[in-house]
Amino acid sequence: MRKMLKWLFILLAVLSIPVGFFIKHEHAVFFWDKIPSIEAIFGVIGAFLLILATAILTSFAQKKEDFYD
Amino acid sequence: MIKAIPPAFFFILGAMLIPFFKGKVKQLYMLMIPALAFLDILYLTPGTSWVYNFLGYDLIFCQVDRLSLVVGYIFIIIGFLAILYSLHVKQDGQHIAAFLYVGSSLGVVFAGDLFSLYAFWEIMAVTSVFLIWFQKDRESLNAGFRYILMHIFGGCSLLAGIIIYTISKGSISVVQMQPGFAYWLILIGFGLNTAFIPIHTWLPDAYPEGTITGSVFLSVFTTKTGVYALARCFAGTDFIAYMGGIMAVYGVIFALLQNDARRLLAYHIVSQVGYMVAGIGIGTALGVNGGIAHVFNHILYKALLFMGMGSVIYMTGKRKLTDMGGLAKFMPVTCITFLIAALSISGAPGFNGFVSKGMVIASAVEAHMPALELMLILASVGTFLSFVKLGYFAFFAKNPEISSKEAPFNMQLAMGLTAFLCVFIGLYPKILFDILPYNVVSYHPFTLSHIFGVIQLFMLAGVAFILAKAMVVPHRATILDFDYFYRMGGRGLIWLSAVPMSNLRTTLQVRFSRAVYIIARLARNPISILEILTAYVYLRITKGLRYVSGYSSGETYDEDLYRRPMGVGVLLAIIFLFAFALIYFIF
Repeated sequence: MRKMLKWLFILLAVLSIPVGFFIKHEHAVFFWDKIPSIEAIFGVIGAFLLILATAILTSFAQKKEDFYD
Repeated sequence: MIKAIPPAFFFILGAMLIPFFKGKVKQLYMLMIPALAFLDILYLTPGTSWVYNFLGYDLIFCQVDRLSLVVGYIFIIIGFLAILYSLHVKQDGQHIAAFLYVGSSLGVVFAGDLFSLYAFWEIMAVTSVFLIWFQKDRESLNAGFRYILMHIFGGCSLLAGIIIYTISKGSISVVQMQPGFAYWLILIGFGLNTAFIPIHTWLPDAYPEGTITGSVFLSVFTTKTGVYALARCFAGTDFIAYMGGIMAVYGVIFALLQNDARRLLAYHIVSQVGYMVAGIGIGTALGVNGGIAHVFNHILYKALLFMGMGSVIYMTGKRKLTDMGGLAKFMPVTCITFLIAALSISGAPGFNGFVSKGMVIASAVEAHMPALELMLILASVGTFLSFVKLGYFAFFAKNPEISSKEAPFNMQLAMGLTAFLCVFIGLYPKILFDILPYNVVSYHPFTLSHIFGVIQLFMLAGVAFILAKAMVVPHRATILDFDYFYRMGGRGLIWLSAVPMSNLRTTLQVRFSRAVYIIARLARNPISILEILTAYVYLRITKGLRYVSGYSSGETYDEDLYRRPMGVGVLLAIIFLFAFALIYFIF
């Protein structure tokens, strides 16, 4: 059940990308506002950047729980 | 007509009477105070009242405009809900500290001059620390001391700024600041409370160590009075706008790595306050309205998140995500209200965060600040990810060892009412738009592209979370923040005082004591100084000569060493006696 929900969610997310081609920004200001489904790109790149940032941070700033004691 | 009272007075004076009531009457009394304050604030009309002259300056306790009113409304509403949440607490001290904290925050909001603003600002710091110390364990005691030390630093900076500003301008009114030395000092004072990076460390350090109910109050007032003060004095500053963007991203990165549930929420305060600060820094009508709307909404969902996690900790005694899991079936009310708060903070359509977060991001676009827009979108992705993480590991992850009951009724009621407000404002934002500082709100949140864009952003970020779940699984660890430098600096200072400075003190003390002893001895018989000096020089010379000549028979007895000073004394006495006799016989 859990697995099925997971795959359904992934399928919906992927399907949302072509749907984005039919929806236009009302007030496109920057060039990326004109790219269809730009939020999908922001979502993936954003998540990638954040996970990368956390990985870099843990590499030098992660210490034992009682570090300050 | 009865003059409306500054709302702060209800809470500050009301706090004094709490110990005189017992049981249900006390609970009713505590709920009545915010209710009365709310009725009072409805009567406040824009203008200035409660003005008192002090050393030639006008202290204004009640300066009312649209900005102070909107912040005042939400402070009183959340004051009521947080008091409802903490009704079961038996310690009067906690209630008194909370009431004084709420009261002093309202004092800051309605203060029309810098002196009374500063006084209420400091009362806030002093009263709020007791909400941490009442947890009564070693961690909370230490975190409380670090908290108050940083707030004393911020308070000193603010006071110095206010004094310089007052002397140079000759005015103490709370107005937009002009760049100068005082400007930066006051900005540091306000910025510390607003959790500017890198002076934010007191927040994620102390808030998770507060009492269950105290942390709900803490999550609301200090940072939001900071944002309010920035809106009054520093709106429209680029530096502040970008500081907001940095805070928003910095907060979520650290939040993603936390294992302590309330520390995760505390880092999200830094991040969400970043949105508010960005809006204020942009400074346009949409920016300030967005920032203040986010203050209003954030107070509701963040208090609700602290209430939810507080309930979990209160009922299970577990505060780390690695110890939680599977609580959805044991605590359904807490779980549902938590999910509402999580959707609100993430900015999901239909919840209040969607409206105000959208306003701030739209204001960045309107002001042509592309970097800021991207930073705020990135923070939005991170917020969604970390609340998927928190919700999953607290309520849905498998944990066969856990069992719990639902929280007490007053806690459930408070969570239910707060959750209702989150949804109500999310669906009917006009009620919020009507009270924002700038009267005309030309923002339409429910456009197709905005709703679809946010859903799509979350879905794809969610897919990334599913694929990279292993990277954000909570670990038992400490993530070092800038407080590493403060703590190590503090330890260095203590070592400097305890070892080298203490040694210097001991050496100086010994030397001075010896000098005083010698002087005191010589003062008893000043005439002997010459004799002693002579004897000393003689002794040195003879010792030296003996050494040079190789003669060493040890110290020889010198009969004159002790005889001579006495002899001199006797000689002087005879001379005086002789002189006296001579004078006597001659005259």
